[in-house]
Amino acid sequence: MKKYLRLMLCMSVLFVGRVTHAQTPADAIMMKQREICFALSYDHGTWDHYWEGADLRVNGNIGTLTRNTTAPMVAYGIINKLNVLLSTPYVQTKSSGGQLAGVKGFQDISVALKYEAFNRKVGKGKLLLLPVGAFATPMTNYLSDYQPYSLGLGTTEWTLRGIVQYELDKGPYVRGSVAHLWRGQTEVERDFYYNNGSYYTTFMDVPNAWNYQGTLGAWLLDYSLQVEATYFVMNSTSGDDIRAYNSPQPTNKVEFSQVSFFAHYYFKNFERIKGLGVMGYYSQMLDEGRNMGKFTNIGGGFTYQFKF
Amino acid sequence: MKNKKLKILIAFFGLIIFNSCENDLPRMAEFTSIEFTGLDENGGTWTPILLASSSQVVVSAPSAVKSPEYQAELAALKSATQSLSGSQVEAVQYWTNNPIIRWNEIALELATKYNLIPGPNPDGTYTLPNSANPAGPPPFPFAHPPYTCRMLAYLSVAQFDGLITAWHYKYTDNRPATYVTDASISYAYAKNTLPSYPSEGAVIAVVSRDILTAMFPLEKDYLAAKAEEHLGSLVWSGSNVQSDITAGEYIGTEVKKVVLARASTDGMKNAQTPKAKSDSIAAAAFARFGWKWENMETPQRPVGLTPLFGKVKMWNVPTVEEVRPGIPPAPGSAELEKDAQELQDFAKNLTEKQRKIANWWSDGLNTYTPPGHWNRLAKDYIIKYEMNPLRSARTFAYLNQAIMDAGISCWDAKYYYYYPRPIQVIPGFKTILGTPNFPSYTSGHSTFSAAAAEVLSYIFPAEASYCNEWAREAAESRIYGGIHYRFDAELGLDQGKKVAEYTVNKAKLDKAD
Repeated sequence: MKKYLRLMLCMSVLFVGRVTHAQTPADAIMMKQREICFALSYDHGTWDHYWEGADLRVNGNIGTLTRNTTAPMVAYGIINKLNVLLSTPYVQTKSSGGQLAGVKGFQDISVALKYEAFNRKVGKGKLLLLPVGAFATPMTNYLSDYQPYSLGLGTTEWTLRGIVQYELDKGPYVRGSVAHLWRGQTEVERDFYYNNGSYYTTFMDVPNAWNYQGTLGAWLLDYSLQVEATYFVMNSTSGDDIRAYNSPQPTNKVEFSQVSFFAHYYFKNFERIKGLGVMGYYSQMLDEGRNMGKFTNIGGGFTYQFKF
Repeated sequence: MKNKKLKILIAFFGLIIFNSCENDLPRMAEFTSIEFTGLDENGGTWTPILLASSSQVVVSAPSAVKSPEYQAELAALKSATQSLSGSQVEAVQYWTNNPIIRWNEIALELATKYNLIPGPNPDGTYTLPNSANPAGPPPFPFAHPPYTCRMLAYLSVAQFDGLITAWHYKYTDNRPATYVTDASISYAYAKNTLPSYPSEGAVIAVVSRDILTAMFPLEKDYLAAKAEEHLGSLVWSGSNVQSDITAGEYIGTEVKKVVLARASTDGMKNAQTPKAKSDSIAAAAFARFGWKWENMETPQRPVGLTPLFGKVKMWNVPTVEEVRPGIPPAPGSAELEKDAQELQDFAKNLTEKQRKIANWWSDGLNTYTPPGHWNRLAKDYIIKYEMNPLRSARTFAYLNQAIMDAGISCWDAKYYYYYPRPIQVIPGFKTILGTPNFPSYTSGHSTFSAAAAEVLSYIFPAEASYCNEWAREAAESRIYGGIHYRFDAELGLDQGKKVAEYTVNKAKLDKAD
């Protein structure tokens, strides 16, 4: 049973485009050797308030900003304890107010390696430790300096994440993860800009960031349904504030926290569509933030898993 | 097997460390000393811009080289240069022997810092910056292109007139450089034979501090600290004894009075009109032409940017009407439709190169504006051609007079014709650049840029083709950005060139060539 179950589990937390979300993966699920999982998710994010510095405000020339992300993704078990994950989000942005044009295109390609370093029975459950290393870099020559419409931050990003999960044999589990994101510089299309002073260059430093996540989850319906509630925090380690009634720029210090609710159903009792799963989620940013749109996101997708 | 995984992890860490070694990003033009191509020994005979002559400000002769007073000053200078603190060494390296460059950079930084458009109040009204209450909110000034071009013009005219005066006394009094009289004085920069009295650095420090303080009143303390450091660097670098500096400060103080007197009566204080006046300007245009520009922001701004900037006193053009461009094609005409269609085609199929051009010259809010952009390009040439401070000031002074005249002429056209922007004329049109709060015709970027290119081509003839190409690119950038029609750009280029010819013709007569 357990073995069969493993085969059925695809990644639960998907890569979603940067700016609104860290590109994780931050779950504790592993593909066995030569198992492969494909996922396609769609995320619809909107905000009508944003933080200028720490002040939450509206802007009639933006109205509601919409950011839709379609994220194809694949995960593969190189060996039982080492998975590689790949994602290439396609992002579209637009606003209901003002005259500025939205943009669309492929954002960043992300590659992650997840390693199951520890997996033992402890008490009435099992304890898992998984380090994850990830790399992301722009796939296209999109302009990062066109915020809040930009597809992404336009820079390379290295992530090191540590995941700890304790799962009771009966199904409920608790998971925490901490990640540090190292961002490089982004090349913009002007050679002078203001970041608490003059800069005579086409490069902007994009601040590094910490990401923290805490999740309560459970397996229901005989391991067909996975449900999770997650608290998510992303904080830049440096950066400037959006200036009064001005556009954001990639040098900004971004901070936000978010809660999300997630469910993933695996059709494991339907022989003809075995390996298929559907997932959906809703997330909402909380009231404290900095230099960021206060997003509400709703999303869903399909997963399909099989063995070579 | 374990070993392999370890290697993968090590590779990840290694790449992270490699990735985090980022280059330090430049904050200013990087140079510490210039070997001037010439000293312009006859600079005291050049024609000033606002002073009646280079001897209008009277400076008494310095004490003799052999006098005990001067010898004591030299001894004090020598001792001051012998044990510099780290911050004093940094100040010497920062200010260099051409501090015109640094004060121009400071001016551009403040222009950028204050180039923020006031946002709406919660009730949908707008409060404009007020020089009588600079702290605001919103803070004064809003350093938009008209404000910045005027600020730069007064700054560089004051520097130029001050330095012509300094050169006059330098070559009248002929007090040798400190290190010529006393070879044991260590001088921080490339040596030359420029006489040291009065100190050109002190003239620059005082006029720059005072003009910029008048333009950016909230920066009084910041500018005072900058000037104090600059004046200190004149001693720490071994450049000047105290009497050199005192004489230079005196010139600076007298010149800034003359310059600020012009600024206070040039008409700028009437440029931002009340709504009733603005409405009457719009109504006059509508009666004349049958069209009327409207601000398209939410909430709508009741008054465009500085409707009467076109009435501000010009530097070198006798009347603004003589450089006013002809009437633009009417909305609805085939000619307008053609140019509007071009904008829609660009919006649909903009190449990456065109997008880059639009952004490169965007120079919108939170930037140094197009006048600042051209000052930055001029600065790079001044460094490349190793100009002395006097010739640098002349370059900026004529450049910025022409740019301000171009701005005045452009604003005259904008509010005379009151021509609607593409986002007003083309239904549902979206752009990649923000549309500014003033009428379309003619393009400010085009007019400013053509004027700047005309002056720079005169001063740096070898660079003329680059300058003209950049001006054309700056003009095109507004079409790619969707915020100007082609005729705004083309006629703006013609207008800017025509306006600048007045300035170039004047410059040719100032005896510097």
